[in-house]
Amino acid sequence: MAAPGRHVGHYIQRNGRFLLCNIDQVLGHRSFGCTTAVRQQAAEANKESAESIVIPRKKTWSKEAVLEALASTVGRDSTAYSYQFQDDPYLSPRTAVEFKLYSLSQESGRSAAKYFVNSNPKFFTKDFAEPHIPCLMPETVSLCLEEVSEEALKERINLRKVTAAVDMYDQLVQAGTAVSLETTHGLLDLISLYCDRDPVEDEGPQTEDTESKDPKKKKGNYRRASDFLKFSWKENNNAERIFNLLPERDTRCYSALIRGMVKHGAYAKAFSMYTDMLNNRLTADVHIFNALISAAPEVREKYNEKWELITELLKQMNEQKIRPNLLTFNYVLKALRRCGFLAKTQSLHTLSEMKALGIAPTLASYDHVLAVFHRSGSSGPNGVDILQEVVAELAETNFTCQDPHDVMFFANAIRVCLDNKDLELAYKVHSLIEFGENYRLLGDPFHQSVYYGRFFNLLCMMEHVDVVLKWYKRIIPSLYYPNPQGMKDLLQALDTDSRLDLLPSIWKDIKSFGHDNKPDVVEDLLSLMTRDNHSAEVQESFAACALDIKSAFDLNLTSRLEWTNSSLSHVTMLLLRANQTKSAWEMLPLFKSNNRVPSDDLMNSFLSLCHTDGTSQKAVELVQMSAAFCLPTTPQLAKRALAEFDLTEEQRAILSELEAAGGEPSD
Amino acid sequence: MMWQRTQTSGTWKDIAKAIMYRFLSRTVCAARSSSVIVYESCALPTKCEKAAAPVFRVVKGGGVNTLSTSSVRICEKKNDDVPSNQDEKTTADKEDGPTETGSTKMANQTEEPVVLMAEDGSTVQQQADVKTEQVEEKQTQVNADVPKSGKESLLDLLGAMKVEVTNKRRLKNLKVKQNSESLPEYKSKPADMESTISMFQKATEEASSPSETLDPTLVAAASAAAATLPNSNQAESELLRQLRQRKAITEAQKKGDMNNLGEIITGMKVGKKQNQQNARPFNPIRFDDDGRGYTHDRRLTAKLVGVRKRTNLLLGKRLNIFSASTEDDAAESTAAQPTLWDMEFANNLSQVTDHTPRNGLEEMIQWTKEGKMWQYPVDNEAGLEEEASVPFHEHVFLEKHLEEGFPRQGPVRHFMELVVIGLSKNPYLTVQQKKEHISWFRDYFHQNEEILKKDDAYLS
Repeated sequence: MAAPGRHVGHYIQRNGRFLLCNIDQVLGHRSFGCTTAVRQQAAEANKESAESIVIPRKKTWSKEAVLEALASTVGRDSTAYSYQFQDDPYLSPRTAVEFKLYSLSQESGRSAAKYFVNSNPKFFTKDFAEPHIPCLMPETVSLCLEEVSEEALKERINLRKVTAAVDMYDQLVQAGTAVSLETTHGLLDLISLYCDRDPVEDEGPQTEDTESKDPKKKKGNYRRASDFLKFSWKENNNAERIFNLLPERDTRCYSALIRGMVKHGAYAKAFSMYTDMLNNRLTADVHIFNALISAAPEVREKYNEKWELITELLKQMNEQKIRPNLLTFNYVLKALRRCGFLAKTQSLHTLSEMKALGIAPTLASYDHVLAVFHRSGSSGPNGVDILQEVVAELAETNFTCQDPHDVMFFANAIRVCLDNKDLELAYKVHSLIEFGENYRLLGDPFHQSVYYGRFFNLLCMMEHVDVVLKWYKRIIPSLYYPNPQGMKDLLQALDTDSRLDLLPSIWKDIKSFGHDNKPDVVEDLLSLMTRDNHSAEVQESFAACALDIKSAFDLNLTSRLEWTNSSLSHVTMLLLRANQTKSAWEMLPLFKSNNRVPSDDLMNSFLSLCHTDGTSQKAVELVQMSAAFCLPTTPQLAKRALAEFDLTEEQRAILSELEAAGGEPSD
Repeated sequence: MMWQRTQTSGTWKDIAKAIMYRFLSRTVCAARSSSVIVYESCALPTKCEKAAAPVFRVVKGGGVNTLSTSSVRICEKKNDDVPSNQDEKTTADKEDGPTETGSTKMANQTEEPVVLMAEDGSTVQQQADVKTEQVEEKQTQVNADVPKSGKESLLDLLGAMKVEVTNKRRLKNLKVKQNSESLPEYKSKPADMESTISMFQKATEEASSPSETLDPTLVAAASAAAATLPNSNQAESELLRQLRQRKAITEAQKKGDMNNLGEIITGMKVGKKQNQQNARPFNPIRFDDDGRGYTHDRRLTAKLVGVRKRTNLLLGKRLNIFSASTEDDAAESTAAQPTLWDMEFANNLSQVTDHTPRNGLEEMIQWTKEGKMWQYPVDNEAGLEEEASVPFHEHVFLEKHLEEGFPRQGPVRHFMELVVIGLSKNPYLTVQQKKEHISWFRDYFHQNEEILKKDDAYLS
């Protein structure tokens, strides 16, 4: 029933124009597929007369609509690892390093498979899918057309074979074939973009097909943009050569070259190219201006000269009736970051200009403004006011990435909060991220960890420990693997609010994050545990934790972790406090083997322990050990042992000798 | 109070319950004080609704002692509620929130000065005295009457009350007139002062009427309630005493609230001032040991600051280079086909953002976008690639295919009509298949035309 109904809707929509004049006829058609109720309605509509009928637009659902609705009901599970590791629980990453390793290997596996399929299409000809699924079939990455023709040139351009395309063009020109303007544009774009070099991806099995927009593949190479930076624009390269040979040049040709020059660092040349273009009575396009504005700070020294150049370019834009776009203003704002004292006022003016032109600033724009107002070294509330306004303006909006720089915003915003210790603002910034799908704009894993690291640092510093632990459970480790500094911050927060009883569980986390081999973290933990006396149960758990830490020391023979004086005495002290006599005695030889000296305090505690146990032999051994360490406290120990213990004659003799021996050098 | 009520008329409907409570409580235990409570509770809708509900229940329960104590409890509750509500209001964006309560309080505050300042204030005062005397008289009257007790006395009282009420109205009108006469003389005062005074006058004018009519009702109700108890005389006096006490408490708390409000207002002023003056260098704890400064406690003034500051970013000067009138150019630039640069830019954008799926459904969305997964059906035409372009009537109206090749009447025609009906209801065949089906019969009947004709079955 619904299907024909929909057809009716379709039909009526298509014939909407006739409906007004021929309503009766349409109703005649319509009534066939409709229930009587609908017919009644239609009849009423008919009575109302034809002029006021507004046909609702047909609602078209995207093919993902149902899935999207379903997905919106699923929240983030803070107890689970990232979804990409769900398939193999064994490979659940527990540390940041593992996370990086596993996600990269996943990507490289995908890329390797893709490379293999694409480079050996003859083995993958069978099409299992019905209907056909194009993306599962091998893509053509090698050249098919061998003859010299414009078609072959186009193919080379599409496959981004820079050198092959240049060769083909040269052959075409030599053969006297005219190449169409469009193809020339494509060729110039290609050469300029890759700076007259084949894209690096073509060299090895790490191939990333740049043409495919497969988002899954991006993980492997976050730093790809920098790949291009290592090439610099060469004088008279193929792009310039072909450009100079062109019989007629239009704006697109200039655009390709200027953009290439700016991209590859030939800033001054780009400006002279622009002047050249103006002399040829051509008007620029928005891309040329964008490129030039982004290059402007490079070609001028003084702050006001830079800004004058930018305003000059903007004025020329207006004269040439070029409408600026978002990137234009983002480049202006970015350039303003390097304009010193001018920046603060001009960046606000630029923002207002954007709004006046109906261009909504994106995160990138705000990030530049924040950077202008925030100087991390200086004191005072830098950037807080601006950030507050920005946050108020952005609240409850879904962001889409419109500028590659957008992803820098959150990490910088949270830094402003951290530098100003403004927790409230940090919560607001975080609520921006938690709105909708905005977390996607946090950027790559590196930026994410920077953001969460700063956020967690601020929480540890300013928030009550209960709230800190709540956040700790929420973001760690599902979103963030804290670094050693983060763990130390957490320990400090626990200390400030005296929740030291939680230390053993934190130690477990430290171990699972792989920070159990960081000496400073372990030392911090031990000293916190030893500093105060706690209730019996807490001491019990501390002692268990101390033994665990000891085993970590034993395991990490090759690592940086080695017994220091304090760590040894802390562990021993913890064991003593929990009355773990045996383990405590086992600690004493470690002092010797690691060339460490136990403290007087520790030896006295040991002696008291012997006293409560009533083992005089142990007491004598202890005093002897103390003598072996040449502790100054040996005579006192011996004296105490003599006074407090029930000793045999032999033992008494040994002790009095030690007492005397210890006494002598001190006299 | 009534004035306030008119101000908040928008919220009135939301708190019909509170009003219901007011009426009920008026008949049972109404008093000036209780009406005050109710008015205030109306100003602070949600919380007092909650507060009112249990009380209402208690009233229904009918225990006299519990009634009085519970009403005291309202006062307490109200006292708790008021500051918090005020906080809410000050933080809320509603314009009417803080200003209104503030000004009504102001009106209350100015109560005494107004009377004193008025030139004929003495007369007003006298009248007020008279009024209170009358009320007291009435109460004593009621007290005297009460011993009769029972429902009859209640009815008597109600009858008597009406007269008194009308008397009172007249008196009050007189007073109001006098007040309004004295109004012009206030003109020398600052304008805002005047306005508050007039507001106050309006308020008293309106508010006094119910509160005064309530008094006898209350007393009568109290006596009626007391009559149900064994020791009615004592019970009634206790009841009335309790009511008076409650009134006193209410007044006291009202004043207390005013003080609270005053404190809050002054506190707010201090916060704002600090911020305006930029008193930053004087803050002693601005620098921490790690060199990062603490910021001011912005909690109290955050809203104010936000509102004030937002203007300079949003409404600041602009560069004034471009004119905003060139919208039509924007359209044509998008028409051009994407260049390599555009593709590279889009690729770059998709790379910087995080696209990893967070759950299985998101992964399925991704697969759908890539075309790896069968589309999730969003309507009942999923998988209808072949038939998507065929309109429905081609499927349903198949009679036209019987036009040629079949007889106009007779059993064959009848059979074919049935076939067509069957086909028109079959959703599993394509139109082409349906046509083929029909043409198969056409051929069949053509081939066997002779036999059919012989049997006379073809046409008849």
